[in-house]
Amino acid sequence: MKRELPLSKKSQNFIEDLRIYLFSSGKQWDEIEDVINELEIHLSEAEKNGKSIEKIIGKSPKDYMEMVSNEMPIDYRTLFKSICLIIFGAFSFKVFSDLLAGTLSYSLLEVTGYLAIAVIFIAVVFKGFKYISTISQSNIIRGVLIFVISLLPLLLFLGVSYLDKMISTPTIHFDNIGSFIIGGITLLFVIGISIWAKTGVLIIMIALLTLPDYFLNLTALQYETQLILSMLISFGGIAIYLLILSKLEKSK
Amino acid sequence: MSTTQMLKGIIDGCLLAIIKEKEVYGYEMAEKLESYGFHSFSEGTIYPLLMRMQKEELITSTLKKSTAGPKRKYYSLTAKGELELKNFIERWQNLQSSVNEVIRQYTITKGGHQDET
Repeated sequence: MKRELPLSKKSQNFIEDLRIYLFSSGKQWDEIEDVINELEIHLSEAEKNGKSIEKIIGKSPKDYMEMVSNEMPIDYRTLFKSICLIIFGAFSFKVFSDLLAGTLSYSLLEVTGYLAIAVIFIAVVFKGFKYISTISQSNIIRGVLIFVISLLPLLLFLGVSYLDKMISTPTIHFDNIGSFIIGGITLLFVIGISIWAKTGVLIIMIALLTLPDYFLNLTALQYETQLILSMLISFGGIAIYLLILSKLEKSK
Repeated sequence: MSTTQMLKGIIDGCLLAIIKEKEVYGYEMAEKLESYGFHSFSEGTIYPLLMRMQKEELITSTLKKSTAGPKRKYYSLTAKGELELKNFIERWQNLQSSVNEVIRQYTITKGGHQDET
């Protein structure tokens, strides 16, 4: 059981930043929690004795974070897992939503474009969060940066679809059977990866993002109503799912 | 050279000596160091050092309940750590006698010059 320690806002912020920094540096979850627990205890006892946070971590939080990070091994397994989850998540989401809308057809430019987006997005997320955790405590700057990072894949997707309309590259069309086979393989991959990574996050996210659209399409509702309802169900569902996850994590 | 730079490598040995005395947790160690006169270093720097020493199997840790708040991580020396402490003490004693010798010579010559003028 974890009891909350009395900590100043400044120390709390530092602890959160350190957690993000170590996580985006690819360190192991258990080890991060370990060192964070120790530091929390230290900071809380130091504060009780009237010491400032500078006395504990020095003048530069960034230098201190780096120092801690250097002593921790990179957890390539978890890193690889997260990257696989992101890439396959994005691809299977694309395949499923296309499949529910009809048969599949992809151009060479689309396929390479999507791959490039996945790679860029992963790099930006890890670098970006690491950077955000070390800059000054201004929440506005942080908010803007996070907004830009989350908007990036959307912009890149739009860019790729625009380019795809402008430049024609060899395109593979799948007929009904072909589409079903691709869909089946993707489904197997998603299930396989979920079992391997021991998480249901991928399946639930994909279901929440694709199924409402599909089922609402079958109803006689107006197009606008469908759009709004599908967004509400998707994002509401994801919010509830994340809430349940964090509740479960806390009760551990 | 700043004190922090000079302390590098020395704090490790001091931590080993403090842990050897009795099982301690992080904050206790920092307090002990301060009581011995190490005022200028940032207390948090002991954690990366402890992590490294644990990786090198010089120390081990166990979680123990505390009356106030969450479990504390207590550190104790391994056999390898005891050996390292012995080596550290030897190295330090050689080093400090050499440094003292240099300083002694320096003050003698400096003192001599001052006498002449």
